[in-house]
Amino acid sequence: MVAQLFDIAAERLERCTALDRLEVRGTLRIALKRAGLDPNNLTVEQLRAVFEQLMPVELENRGVVDAVEACGTAMDEIACVARESGSTSALTPDDIFKRLGGG
Amino acid sequence: MVRKRSQSLWLDMKRIPAMEENAYLTALIAGSFYMVASARLLRLSMRTRELPELMLSVYFAATGLYYLIAYSPNYPGFEPLSPFANIAINWIFVLGVFPFLLFIRRVFRPESAWALALVWICGLCLVAGGIDATRKGGLEEVIENPWFIVEWFGYAAPAVWIGCEAALSYRGASKRAEIGLCEPGVVNRYLILAWFGCFQTLACLAGLYWAYDNGDNRAISVFADALLGGCEIASVGTLWLAFFPPAIYRKWILERSAGIGPAPEG
Repeated sequence: MVAQLFDIAAERLERCTALDRLEVRGTLRIALKRAGLDPNNLTVEQLRAVFEQLMPVELENRGVVDAVEACGTAMDEIACVARESGSTSALTPDDIFKRLGGG
Repeated sequence: MVRKRSQSLWLDMKRIPAMEENAYLTALIAGSFYMVASARLLRLSMRTRELPELMLSVYFAATGLYYLIAYSPNYPGFEPLSPFANIAINWIFVLGVFPFLLFIRRVFRPESAWALALVWICGLCLVAGGIDATRKGGLEEVIENPWFIVEWFGYAAPAVWIGCEAALSYRGASKRAEIGLCEPGVVNRYLILAWFGCFQTLACLAGLYWAYDNGDNRAISVFADALLGGCEIASVGTLWLAFFPPAIYRKWILERSAGIGPAPEG
């Protein structure tokens, strides 16, 4: 599921914007890189932060109108799919390092 | 963990009451700290029932034991280690690196085939060095011994690896912190571990230098000894900040990161 989250996100975003598959995936990869995230190891929470804070700007830069709304709609659908598939967030190095500090 | 020439063997061979005699103080400090850190992580692993903290705990325990026992002949009033004790402490050292390797792979590259291959390669190198040491009644820590180099690679590679992984993770975590996905305390912990890897790598290189200088140049030995001791103390210092951060340090991290993410834990 973790590896598929990127694909699901790209697919849902493609539906909500006028961008084609390649453009959406490229834009998403750029946003994830800016966020310091690995496309192969994503969690829904991480994706939500990217869709709320970085993706709208990236989409607007590519001429997408109502980028905030598109991101919101796509994110709701992604969260829904993730919930239905019963996926749980994978343990990230951040989680482990937080624990190691006693947090 | 840094493997270096057994002080007892070194002093015995060279018959020098030089500054190395005081190196046991560094070993005592480092060994004691590693044991304390190990106990803390063991307690954490019992609470969380997770493997990473347990792996790190075993690694620190092995390192601590190595320092405390291997250097014991240099403590005032202590006798040289028997061949059996030399072999045993070498195996404790060698086996102690395994959980460290598994920790790095589990945390940073759980799915990676090359990481698994590296774990195997390092593991085989360590075992090969351990077998050679057993055969000879103790590891010959001289550059002419190819098995020393093989074992050296087995514990130097993880030091480089953890440094690189932590530095890369620090870079990513800094970006994540800007959008609130990573706590400043965690970001800082990556940086600390990168420094730890850096100091350990330096110490490994100094150990190699030391093994190379098996001859007459005392100046080089003293330099390598000082570098090793300094790196080990620096490593302990970084781990102290990672696992036992004082309130003033936590406050400093919080203030530095104010406005770019949530407050650090603890």
